[in-house]
Amino acid sequence: MNSWILLPVCLPVIVGACLLISLAFDRRKDASGPSEEELKRLHILVFFTLIATTVFTLALVWAGKGSLALFEIVKGIPVYFQIDGAGRLFAAIFCIAWTAVGIYAFTYMPHEGKEKQFFAFYLIVFGVLIALAFSGNLVTMYLFYELMTVTSAPLVLHNGSREAIMASLKYLFYSMCGAYLGLFALFFLYQNCDTLTFTAGGTLNPELAAQNGTILLIAVFAALIGFGAKAGMFPLHAWLPTAHPVAPSPASAVLSGVIAKAGVLAVLRVVYYVAGADFLRGSWVQTAWMTLTLLTVFMGSLLAFREPVFKKRLAYSTVSQVSYILFGLSLLSPTAFEGAMLHTVFHMFIKCTLFLVAGVFIVKCNKTRVDELDGIGKQMPGTLWCFTFASLALIGIPPTSGFISKWYLAQGALEANVGVFGWLGPVILLVSALLTAGYLLPVTMKGFFPGKDYPSVPKDDAPKGMLYPVLFLTAIAVLPGVIPNPLIGFISRIADLVF
Amino acid sequence: MQFVQNLPFISIIVSLFSGSLSSIMGGKKAKRLNLAMMSLVAAMSLMVFLFVLGTGESYVYMMGHFPAPWGNEIRIGVLEAGMALFFCVVMLLCVIGGYQEQAAEIEDEKKNLYYIMINLLLCSLLALIYTNDLFTAYVFVEINTISACGLIMIKQNGRTIEAATRYMIMSLLGSGMLLLGICYLYDVTGHLLMSNIKEQVEIIHRTGQYRVPLLVAVGLMSVGLAIKSALFPFHAWLPDAYGYSTVSSAAILSSLVSKGYIFLLIKIFYRVIGFDVIQDSKVVNILFIFGILGMIMGSISAIRENNIRRMVAYSSVAQIGYIYMGFGLATEAGIMASIFHVLSHAATKSLLFLSASGITDSSNDSTDFFDLTGAGYRNKLAGIAFTVGSLSMVGFPALSGFISKLLFAQAAIGDGWKMFPALIALAVSTVLNAVYFMKTVIRLYTPERTAGREGFREIHMTENRTKSAAMLCLVALNLILGLGSAPIVRMIEQGLGMFA
Amino acid sequence: MNAAILAVVVLLPVLAGALIPFIPFKNRLWMMVYIEAAVLLVTILMFVTLFNQPQEEFVLFRFAGNLSLSFKLDGLGSVFAGLVAFLWPLATLYSFEYMKHEGHEKYFFMFYTMTYGITLGIALAEDIVTMYCFYEALSIVTLPLVIHTLTREAILAGRTYVYYMLGGAAFGFIGLAFVLIYGTTSNFVPGGVLDFAKIGDHRNMILFTYVMCFFGFSIKTAIWPFCSWLPKAGVAPTPVTALLHAVAVVKAGAFAAMRVTYYSFGADFLRGTWAQGVVMAAVIITIVYGCSRAVKETHMKRRLAWSTVSNLSYVLFGVVLMSPLGLAGAMSHMVFHAFIKISAFFCVGAVIYKTGREYVHQLNGFGYRMPKVFVVFTISGLALMGVPGLAGFVSKWNLVKAALDAGTGAAYLGIAALLVSALLTAIYMMTIVVRAFFPGKDFDFSTISDVEDPNWMMILPLTVFTIAIIYFGVCSGWFTDMLEQISSVM
Repeated sequence: MNSWILLPVCLPVIVGACLLISLAFDRRKDASGPSEEELKRLHILVFFTLIATTVFTLALVWAGKGSLALFEIVKGIPVYFQIDGAGRLFAAIFCIAWTAVGIYAFTYMPHEGKEKQFFAFYLIVFGVLIALAFSGNLVTMYLFYELMTVTSAPLVLHNGSREAIMASLKYLFYSMCGAYLGLFALFFLYQNCDTLTFTAGGTLNPELAAQNGTILLIAVFAALIGFGAKAGMFPLHAWLPTAHPVAPSPASAVLSGVIAKAGVLAVLRVVYYVAGADFLRGSWVQTAWMTLTLLTVFMGSLLAFREPVFKKRLAYSTVSQVSYILFGLSLLSPTAFEGAMLHTVFHMFIKCTLFLVAGVFIVKCNKTRVDELDGIGKQMPGTLWCFTFASLALIGIPPTSGFISKWYLAQGALEANVGVFGWLGPVILLVSALLTAGYLLPVTMKGFFPGKDYPSVPKDDAPKGMLYPVLFLTAIAVLPGVIPNPLIGFISRIADLVF
Repeated sequence: MQFVQNLPFISIIVSLFSGSLSSIMGGKKAKRLNLAMMSLVAAMSLMVFLFVLGTGESYVYMMGHFPAPWGNEIRIGVLEAGMALFFCVVMLLCVIGGYQEQAAEIEDEKKNLYYIMINLLLCSLLALIYTNDLFTAYVFVEINTISACGLIMIKQNGRTIEAATRYMIMSLLGSGMLLLGICYLYDVTGHLLMSNIKEQVEIIHRTGQYRVPLLVAVGLMSVGLAIKSALFPFHAWLPDAYGYSTVSSAAILSSLVSKGYIFLLIKIFYRVIGFDVIQDSKVVNILFIFGILGMIMGSISAIRENNIRRMVAYSSVAQIGYIYMGFGLATEAGIMASIFHVLSHAATKSLLFLSASGITDSSNDSTDFFDLTGAGYRNKLAGIAFTVGSLSMVGFPALSGFISKLLFAQAAIGDGWKMFPALIALAVSTVLNAVYFMKTVIRLYTPERTAGREGFREIHMTENRTKSAAMLCLVALNLILGLGSAPIVRMIEQGLGMFA
Repeated sequence: MNAAILAVVVLLPVLAGALIPFIPFKNRLWMMVYIEAAVLLVTILMFVTLFNQPQEEFVLFRFAGNLSLSFKLDGLGSVFAGLVAFLWPLATLYSFEYMKHEGHEKYFFMFYTMTYGITLGIALAEDIVTMYCFYEALSIVTLPLVIHTLTREAILAGRTYVYYMLGGAAFGFIGLAFVLIYGTTSNFVPGGVLDFAKIGDHRNMILFTYVMCFFGFSIKTAIWPFCSWLPKAGVAPTPVTALLHAVAVVKAGAFAAMRVTYYSFGADFLRGTWAQGVVMAAVIITIVYGCSRAVKETHMKRRLAWSTVSNLSYVLFGVVLMSPLGLAGAMSHMVFHAFIKISAFFCVGAVIYKTGREYVHQLNGFGYRMPKVFVVFTISGLALMGVPGLAGFVSKWNLVKAALDAGTGAAYLGIAALLVSALLTAIYMMTIVVRAFFPGKDFDFSTISDVEDPNWMMILPLTVFTIAIIYFGVCSGWFTDMLEQISSVM
């Protein structure tokens, strides 16, 4: 049974690799694009791969346990997969979001061209992400984290313009920077932990930790900053607003929605599964971390508020929102932890939706700036409704999902014994929520109510291939707000383990 | 008294007489006589050397059986005999290596003069090596100077005359100081025979009398000989003298003449003043400092030189610096290293001069650095020989330079404050040597852009057989010194032991 | 196993190489067969010897007193010898193809083959004198290879090269002389040979000597501030840059530094002294400096050369940790970096050979025309960055493990330097990869229509190296064990 873990990892990677190889042969023949027929076959192949991977992953998630050790990367540390609570949660949401966005991309990508290349890397990153979610020790996680960075860079530079290439290099640079900070921490954790295998509650050796406390704290802090880079945490957040606008919309969606969460997962693993929450509680690292996350929350919203380019605005929004999650994690209290996990799930779907909607606007009317979107609701009401619901969820208007996660976060902050942050946190979250409303709702309002001298346009909504995934994502983004209990139950079981 | 014990004296006399004899001969005959004489002297030196090695002790040979202080003595030990043999061999090689140049560069009527000078030079060198009498030494120093001057001047052009004049002035200054030193010593001790002086000096030193005169005498003699052997900063005469004279002269001058003075200085240190006294005096420190400066400055001058002959000449300044640095260490090991370096440098420098001339032969007789491009392909043997010589200078293992460097380093280690200056100077000067020698080697093997120019021609090794043979022998000598250094070092040790 | 075989493997390539210009080969093919056969024979002999370690020493020649040329195979030597012996036949195969366009092949292969023997001589040297002799010989015999193209640039580079090499040896020589005087023996003995009774209170003197000697030997390893020769030497034909200036010559420097540190002066004596601090500082600076220069450099070979500068100091970092684990880490990086860098260099060489393009900005779109080469290049780039699952990560891990074990502030700083350097590595390698595979929107592929993958003689070595990189990435356990066992005798 255990070796089945490899299946959802290898399947997309192999299919993607095959696509790449065939791509190399294509390019040799001539430069003319693929025919309709070929494209169709490609879509079918990718579709089934996505679905199959999702099914396998969900099956593993359902099965709920198992572990698998492969070859040793370095002496004593194998590539090790293990299915645990956090891994199950992340794997499940990763594959749902990834598949939905993938289906959307079938319709979107002809707009950008070079579908084969896109889908090849899209599939490879998918496999890597699943592996990342199921990673059972820190080194394995680091391995897939690096691979994810490298293989997702082609998604960013997809359109091949100079701007895109520079953006992807910036993305690579920030991610690598972060990864190496993480590696720095990994080395020290290796020295001071009994094992690097993820164990809820941490594996720190108390004696060694007491001995090397200072350097270990520095190391963990380095990991927080480093893995925080993927999650867009200040100070390594600057790649997001550069990379998102140039990437194809499905790519931005998954970068923001999914890959940023991989950063969250890495932080989660380091803090709760290796170093242990107790080690950090009350230390300067926690204080600094909270400060940084709150700063990012506020700054991200503010920047988003001022940003006229739609996708850039969403990117800043991601910066802000993912730091909600990190703030939740930094509080080191069970309620906040639950809030963070909930926000992870919700934000993933919400942000995917938002970016996909932005993609629809780009494909249909080639509009990238917010001020061009006036009256768009007349043309594409369905799409804009999805956008509106997702926005509301992100702002946290009850009974949408965002409200619940934010509630938990605020409550966690108040509960946790963190001094001034106990009230400062919720205040900033609230201010940021207002700002969120400020930067998202005008789109809806101007979209539906462009003013009376706006010429009427015929209704021309997004094609079905795009609309349905958007609808689906909106639904799973918003609805858990109404029936949150199964999810909360699942997450609180994880929380019980790690605290 | 065995017959073989007479041989040192006979070899001095033979070379002296063959010099006189040559004056009534034509150039060709003088050349043959010179060759025969050098071979004979070499053979005799070899016999003496083997004899001394066999008996294991030195002996004193009184001329005409008059005992001191009336008679004149020579004294033969392993070191003396070995040095004599070595000098003979190297001189032989230098002379035959330069036959072609001698034929071309010396006017016909002066050819016999050249061989007279060489015979006299050999005679004076042998006398310097063997003599046990300071004044005799002085006399032969002068003969040496005169003949060396002749060797420089024999190739007639403006620069050699100028160089010879400079050489003469500097050399006479040096001889003058040496003479002054000898006078002081005579004044203080009342003797001229080395062993007698030494006894007296020991007494004087013990009693603490005449400190200043003794110091002055040592200083004058050291500086005098230092000038004559071109220790930095008294080297100004050297580059021109070596750079523009005919090749055999340059090779002999750099590898032997200066070494004769150095050998005399060693004798003065050991046999006249006594090593303990030398160690106590501060003169050695001065020699040490000048030695080190010479090592560095000589190389720097060589780097800036664009004339290959002058470059090799400047390199001699650096090498003389090594030798004086060894003296300056004032230890047995230091002196041993210096003596080994005398051998090593003689073998290497004559090789370099010969091969440099082979290289210039193939380059339109130009010594200019830029004309040498690709000369290693034109004259293969000379190119290889120059490379070997350069590598030896840089201290490449298996060649003589490596061993002398090693001996110097080992001597320097543990020698108080002198250790690190000496070691660092060794390293730095190796780097500098590498700079100019390897630069030249690379230039030799850079393909020529001068192909087809007049005078740039290929020279096969059979074209100038004597030079080729000389170069091959010197390469072999280098290898012998590099690979078989153990017995040689042992002999030097034994010889120094006999000095005391 | 008779120890004489050690001398055979050293002398055979020297002889075989020296004979090349004198053998009248019927055509090029015969020459290739001859050379490859000779090299392969030596490699086979070497591996046979490695698997039947002869215990005794073999004295080839005594030249003065305690100075002798003698060989003995020990753990550290086996690692280096094995590495060199493994790489050489493959590199030779590659050079057959590459050297077609350089000319003067006979002389090239003469020196190339001789270098093989001399490098093995360094690996198998039993004492510091023998090592020094071969070390000097290596400088000289590789000089013709550096100036092979005989362009003005090459000659200037050759000069710099030889000055640095001989200069380095001159300082290393001081250490040699010291060991001869203050050591109980000149042989390499794990733990050092210094005679402390003789040294007495002259400890600082010995430390000063060590520093000079370390820098002297490390000049071959291009330690800062003596690193500029290596990028300059990049004008040499690629097989030279790849095998010699990424492996044989430069690793010989690292190897000598290991010998001197662990087998002559003794790590225990040096640990914690100011001497360690000095060399550690230089090493850490080099690690970062080399990478930063690589990022700035646009000439491909020079970029890789700067990268080598940095990576060699990884090895030295392990060395100067002065602990058995440090030595093990250093050895593992010595081996793995060899595979990685040689394959990266060979890729660049293939590009130069096929297209003559040498600058990074000329590589747009090459990934599609030379897919095999650039896949290999990408893998070596990733390995160099230290992506887990490839060899580079393992050695980095071993080094860091040693540094953590040492636990000093300088060691921690070193870890940070390693990571900064890894980041810079990512920049300078990935920019090439990105260019090659993602040439940009409007790229006209017809401008590179003449570009194609090279033939099997180039691809085979690349494949083997790539397999090695991946293999050591996924199962390095036995290898690390072996290295730790070797270094545990300290």
